[in-house]
Amino acid sequence: MSSRLLRRLPQTLPLSTPLRRAPLAFPLSRQHSTGSGTSVDPTEISHFDGLASTWWDPHGSSRLLHLMNPLRLHFIQTCLLRGTPVPPTPSARGTESVGADPIAAVQGHRESEEGGLRYLDIGCGGGILAEALARLKSTRSVVGVDASSGVLEVAEAHRRMDPGLVKGGRLRYENCVVEELGGRLKGEERGGFDVVTMMEVIEHVPHPHAFLYTAMSHVRPGGWLCLSTISRSWISYLTTVFVAEDVLGIVPRGTHDWNKYLNAEELEGFFHAQKNWGSGGGMVTMGCMYLPGLGWKEVKGGEKVGNYFFGVRRDLE
Amino acid sequence: MRPRVSHARRSYATATKADLYDVVVVGGGPAGLSLASSLRSSSVTNGLRVALVEGFDLAPGRNWKPEPQTFSNRVSSLTPGSVGFLTDIGAWKHVDRDRVQAYHGMQVWDGISGSRIQFNWNPSASETIAYMTENTNLVHGLLSRLSELGGVEVIDKTRVENISFGEDNGELDLRTWPTVEITGGRKLTARLLVGADGANSPVRTFAGIESRGWDYDRHGVVATVKLAEGSSLGIEKTAYQRFLPSGPVALLPLPGDFATLVWSTTPQNAAKLKTLAPTDMAAMVNAAFRLSHVDIDFIKDLDSGIAGEVQWRESVTQFDYTRVPGRVVGVQDKSVASFPLKLRHADTYIGERVALIGDAAHTVHPLAGQGLNQGIGDVQSLIKTVETAVQNGQDIGSVLSLEPYYSEQYFKNHLMLGVVDKLHKLYGTTSAPIVALRSFGLSAVDAMTGLKSLIMKQASGGR
Repeated sequence: MSSRLLRRLPQTLPLSTPLRRAPLAFPLSRQHSTGSGTSVDPTEISHFDGLASTWWDPHGSSRLLHLMNPLRLHFIQTCLLRGTPVPPTPSARGTESVGADPIAAVQGHRESEEGGLRYLDIGCGGGILAEALARLKSTRSVVGVDASSGVLEVAEAHRRMDPGLVKGGRLRYENCVVEELGGRLKGEERGGFDVVTMMEVIEHVPHPHAFLYTAMSHVRPGGWLCLSTISRSWISYLTTVFVAEDVLGIVPRGTHDWNKYLNAEELEGFFHAQKNWGSGGGMVTMGCMYLPGLGWKEVKGGEKVGNYFFGVRRDLE
Repeated sequence: MRPRVSHARRSYATATKADLYDVVVVGGGPAGLSLASSLRSSSVTNGLRVALVEGFDLAPGRNWKPEPQTFSNRVSSLTPGSVGFLTDIGAWKHVDRDRVQAYHGMQVWDGISGSRIQFNWNPSASETIAYMTENTNLVHGLLSRLSELGGVEVIDKTRVENISFGEDNGELDLRTWPTVEITGGRKLTARLLVGADGANSPVRTFAGIESRGWDYDRHGVVATVKLAEGSSLGIEKTAYQRFLPSGPVALLPLPGDFATLVWSTTPQNAAKLKTLAPTDMAAMVNAAFRLSHVDIDFIKDLDSGIAGEVQWRESVTQFDYTRVPGRVVGVQDKSVASFPLKLRHADTYIGERVALIGDAAHTVHPLAGQGLNQGIGDVQSLIKTVETAVQNGQDIGSVLSLEPYYSEQYFKNHLMLGVVDKLHKLYGTTSAPIVALRSFGLSAVDAMTGLKSLIMKQASGGR
């Protein structure tokens, strides 16, 4: 029932940004609803599984997530332009182009390259971001993690449809809560990832601080933690909670807990207080908005009212 | 997960080892060759594995050695926009420029009222309306560019026997990947299958995309003609088009004293024209630009003495010598041919792992010379779309990646198809009020420099 309503959402609502984003955030939130793997609500996962079948339908409920993907890559690129985990060396692949365009590269045959970047995508869902990252030539490998086995089945089935993703272990999924991820990491992954991403996740987490600490533990020195979320403003309250849940009822009540929304200043404040994080320009905030007919666009100051990206770099040791 | 006997699995995987390509282009005409060249020319897409399959032998195009003073009857008008793109992908430098004729002026008039519209670019700015280019010259240029670039597997003299989907071998799931079976049984499995395979596109059929439209009950008669010596002197060359009730007749300049004819007329007239002796054919073309449509209709049905009849009637007909093309004095041997005219537009240009370009997507009335330019416009848009998808880590075959190509080209082409179709219909009538109206329109447009330059910018694909 609720999944059907969610699927209809993008077609029926006025295109206010937070509303458009509400259904996107909902599925991704499930695996993080608690701080431990034992308290994930099975009914929430089954609800989430209902959405899974349309994950890769270009006109399905995840269309807006697909459309947002280029902006996500743009943001990650913006962060990497401020500093890469490893200073460029002559042996690193594409050293010359790293400054100009660190992650945009060529699709096609490629081998896992020594100089490539390792990504961890927390709350990877059907793999929209994880697949895109894995196709970039500058990528060495991507690990996607999600607590829902149903959605990971979809992600895995879709991964097998692209020989470029199957080859050389470029992309792998782990079905667990992020707190349990450590035991599943292999080799160099244990030393941390170059980029850890968490898209549309943190606003659904009951204990964001504890959750952030867990995610931070997977970032290697010089690497980035990149996330996207929504600010706690009266506009986001009106659109995502009051209109969508209370008035129209098209999003099940309780989907969003407005009080859990994090403002950019709060994230900035949190990381300013952390030792060895975000020094020397290693903190980036970018507001964005879905504009009908134009798609997702960067909007200066957008973080004050609605969706935004936040990136923070772990200092080099 | 599924239990499987290990040796069985191994042999299965070997037996169905797919031959994977990022892009398989079906069709080695100008559109398909342009796409292959641009994929290899772009630094973003040159890592893709590309194959091109063509049923005909491409060797004649590759080893093209044209005879001087002889021109193919298949000539296209390339807009400056198209030539700009061909230059960008490094193909235009391989086109024999001595056999390309640019023109800077256009005379278009109503065959009943005589109302005309004259297009002249500012000669000092030497702005070109279009470049008349033999198709073989362009194909030769594109093939040369492809050999220079290397990396594209060109498979010619090979037919597409069947298109199906790939298999799921347990490790890889290729059930959404089109698999092209070619003569000899080889199979090419494509991330993105591009149909550049003409109006009866097998790729379009495979994708289940309908193509709709109608036939005009008109044939286009083409020929290479020679004009009276010195009749096209000077740097400025002009294209001429006169709208007759049975269809437009156009004479477009080629290098030297040559020109190419495109005469849209009824199938009966077309059949008759093809039987004429060269001198009579030359006389008919002269008549088509000079005499009244009633005279033309009368003369074409004569069994003999056409040339003499035209000469006589011309002497008693008033027309402006400075505004008609030079006199046709000869018709190149074996250059008269005809083809049926039609309008077709595919319902969409894209499907999962399929894109259509050129005539596979649309067929237009040739009166505006836009057919090939539309195809090149498709390539230009598709390559941009694929580049963006690669840069964003998208699967270039997915509908989501291909959507920008469809939305950019479909409505643009639809507009052009519609405008050209309306022109054809508007000028296909002798009804007096409509002739008066359309003549007023043409004269009014002629008087308005601003509007004229706007129309010309559209016609020349201004970029």
